[in-house]
Amino acid sequence: MRFAWRKRCFLLLLPVLLAVTLWQIRVESDLNAFFTHTNDADAELLSGLLQSGELSRRYLLVVEESAANARDAPSLAAFSAKLIQQLAQLDQVEQVWPAARPPRDWLDATQFYAPYHARIYSLNPARDAASLFDPQALPGRADGLRQALLSPQGGFVKSIAKQDPLLLSLNGFKTLQAGFQQTRDDGALILQSRPPALDSAAHAKLRAAIDARFDDLNQAAGRAFRLSIAGVPVFSVAARDEISRDVTLVSTASSLCVVLVFLLLFRSFSALHWLLLLQGCAFLIGILATQLIFGQVHSLTLALGASLIGICVDYPIHVMAHSAKHRSSPLHNARLLWPSLWLGGLTTVIGYAAMGFSGFPGFEQIAVFALFSIAASLGLTRWLLPALLRHGSLHIADLPGIAGWVAFCGRRRKALLSLIACAAVLAVFSLPRLGWMDDMQKLTMNMDAIKQQDATVRAHFSSMEPGRFVLIRADDFETALQRAEAAERRLQDLQRAGVVKSYHGLFPWLASQALQAENARVYNAALTAEFQDAWRAALDLAGLSADKLGRLTPAGSGELAPEAVLETPVRHVLSGQLLAERQGVALALWLGDHDPAGLAAGLQGLAGTRYFSQREQLNQLAGQYRDRSLRMLAIGIAVMGFLIWLQIRGLRNTLLTLLPSLAAVLFIFASWALLGEELSFVHVIGLLLSISLCVDYGIFFIENRGGDSEVTYHAIAASTLTTLASFGALGLGKTPTLPILSLSVSLGVVLGFLLCPLLIPKTDPA
Amino acid sequence: MKRFWAVLLLCLALPCPADDGALSEVLGKLRQVGQASFQYHEIQTLELAASPWRASGIMLTDEAGSLVKLQLQPSRVIMAISGDSLYYWDAAQNRRHSMPIAYADETAAQILIFRGILLGRAEELTAGYDLAADVRNPDWSLHMQPKNAQAGDNTPTIDISGDADPDKRRILLRRADGETTEYRIEKVAAPHAENYSIPQLLREAGGE
Repeated sequence: MRFAWRKRCFLLLLPVLLAVTLWQIRVESDLNAFFTHTNDADAELLSGLLQSGELSRRYLLVVEESAANARDAPSLAAFSAKLIQQLAQLDQVEQVWPAARPPRDWLDATQFYAPYHARIYSLNPARDAASLFDPQALPGRADGLRQALLSPQGGFVKSIAKQDPLLLSLNGFKTLQAGFQQTRDDGALILQSRPPALDSAAHAKLRAAIDARFDDLNQAAGRAFRLSIAGVPVFSVAARDEISRDVTLVSTASSLCVVLVFLLLFRSFSALHWLLLLQGCAFLIGILATQLIFGQVHSLTLALGASLIGICVDYPIHVMAHSAKHRSSPLHNARLLWPSLWLGGLTTVIGYAAMGFSGFPGFEQIAVFALFSIAASLGLTRWLLPALLRHGSLHIADLPGIAGWVAFCGRRRKALLSLIACAAVLAVFSLPRLGWMDDMQKLTMNMDAIKQQDATVRAHFSSMEPGRFVLIRADDFETALQRAEAAERRLQDLQRAGVVKSYHGLFPWLASQALQAENARVYNAALTAEFQDAWRAALDLAGLSADKLGRLTPAGSGELAPEAVLETPVRHVLSGQLLAERQGVALALWLGDHDPAGLAAGLQGLAGTRYFSQREQLNQLAGQYRDRSLRMLAIGIAVMGFLIWLQIRGLRNTLLTLLPSLAAVLFIFASWALLGEELSFVHVIGLLLSISLCVDYGIFFIENRGGDSEVTYHAIAASTLTTLASFGALGLGKTPTLPILSLSVSLGVVLGFLLCPLLIPKTDPA
Repeated sequence: MKRFWAVLLLCLALPCPADDGALSEVLGKLRQVGQASFQYHEIQTLELAASPWRASGIMLTDEAGSLVKLQLQPSRVIMAISGDSLYYWDAAQNRRHSMPIAYADETAAQILIFRGILLGRAEELTAGYDLAADVRNPDWSLHMQPKNAQAGDNTPTIDISGDADPDKRRILLRRADGETTEYRIEKVAAPHAENYSIPQLLREAGGE
């Protein structure tokens, strides 16, 4: 196709591509999609918990009287009750209740258990039978029943007593009551939201609605109250805000820096506008491909993808630098440099692909984005750039020191090589001192202010923790329930031993058939004629009707079926404890304050039962990512070496091409080891990227297709500057992974660039 | 035809001033301003009890609308409303409840009505009940029928009656399930003992 037509087609298709991309793109801000991995069952469980776990969707609200309390303001209890009514009307609110009292429908749901009282009264029926069926204690129990009937809960007790005169079905629920806070903190409220915890957009709206309802009520109350909010969704919204800020800042700074570097080098707005259109096109192709493959593009992909601008412009800049220096046409130079550009692009793609295979799900998207953006940039450089720059003339500024450094390396090569060899030996010896980051929390944003508020708010609540629990797994529900009951018995022992302060189990909301049968057996055995007589006598003594309450019937054959239970409001109580699993059944027993080591040890020997900590799980994942990224680093280097060998066909030159980047990585690792920097998989990924970029410099330098090492090195310098400009901008991000990547890649690229003329002797053009 | 409409309108109009007058008079008798003490005797007929259950004690009210029902016989039990909270304390059973009134269930809500009756708060009573008064000097009565009563709703109908003695009245609560509670109350001089002060009893009920 003629140049004029190529240009017209490009200008015509670019807006179409933009329109299609805008039409198709769905930007995802869910951090879970970026940060957690779903290859194994534990990771999948973790992902599900972060995404939709009951406790993760829970807000903790504390209303307090402000210092400037208005004289005519309602009481805290009345204000909280009104706020509950208002918040319950919000669409995204599933339920809201005072922390000190279970929701009314939870309490009412206990009435459902009355007909099954003989099957669910105890987790340890044989052990508890002596006290529960002690004839001597019956007068006291009858007296208690009478007082309960006369108390404010009289209506509730009566409906149960008619079916379960001994109130056995309420026995297990005493612990539930104890699980709720016994203080009169009227301002402590719990709000169960509907959206998944990490759907930060939905939670930002919900948070605004909560604040608005509170403000309206508070204004009417003379601004007498203040509201504090905590919970996982609060962190999610804060993280989204930070990430949005990072995306905007990094992409803007990166683009501006690359533009400035280009203008500094070429001083041509005409060339700049073509370059920007070309890069814009490559960027759009990358976004569209990512969208089509993954169904969404994560906002962090866009932030990290912005750094690709600095890499993709390398290819046109090489062509333009050679064209400017040699006063030759861009078409000639595009053809001349194409083999080097192609190989350089390929090694960069391999670096990104290796990053994608590191197991970190977010990097998979970035790898795909990079693959298509780099491929597009290469293709556009080869076949479109010459058409765009046909009529323009290019000039490139001399970068100070470039020629001097090349000359110095040539003059002092032996001395410098000896120095580098010594440094390399020392670096190798320092590697065992490398320290690895074992806490993934260090890679998360600094949210100290929110964490402090979270701790302050949580002090008003009972301390069920959202991230640590006892995990039960089994192939079927009955086995899972039996295992959960065994675990609860063990937790009762651990509670007595002070290892765990409180826990939230499944009994008596759900009971296995085996436990129900055991309860029924013990109950029927205890129901002797003497016991029945003693009960009737106790009722008489308490003034209660022996006719209506005195007939204790043996346990019937009807079992309490889990399916029937889950059709009642109990499903809301248990929804956070019945965990979604692709195969089998998983149950969670929530924990209050506990000693993790003591608890894990205490649970040993129980089949299918273990202590699960989200934090430890995340750290384990981080360890897996690190190990895989180190493997990918080795594999990536090997594949790049193989591809270079295929093109250059010489082992020595292949090694020479790789040498600057490998030496740079060795020195960076050694520096980190000596400085005591804790390394994560992000550091390793950064170095992998820097290798894939530095290898390009090696390829350009060793192939030297322009025939002039100084011109080639000038072009490499220009590439290094744009790469530094774009990756340097990542350092402005507050998400810790961005500065780490920025530092790793920038250090690697600078060192690799400086080592090129030293480690690779001048060669004749390929 | 004109005569028919005139008679009809007269029939419709006549009971209104008569009823309004009786109701105002009865509510006037009930109205209680400021601090007051009542001695009460209670008889509850419970579906699950063998015989009527009897209790007695005192009720205390104050200007702020607090109500404390202190049962002294057969055992000490405090049920109280203060501000927006409801309290229950059964010392013998060591059973204590406290909750915002808005959270109180059907049974507990009855004490709210009782406060309305004792203090003669017409607006609280008319919110949930249709009122019908009857005055046959010196006797008077007030019948309270729950508004919008539905099947399964156990809100009681309430009959309050009195005679020439302005300090005495009888209150009868009848629930749909057949249970009844009858109170006979008599206004008495405020007990002087510190143990019978409203703040002290509220502190005891609240567990402070």
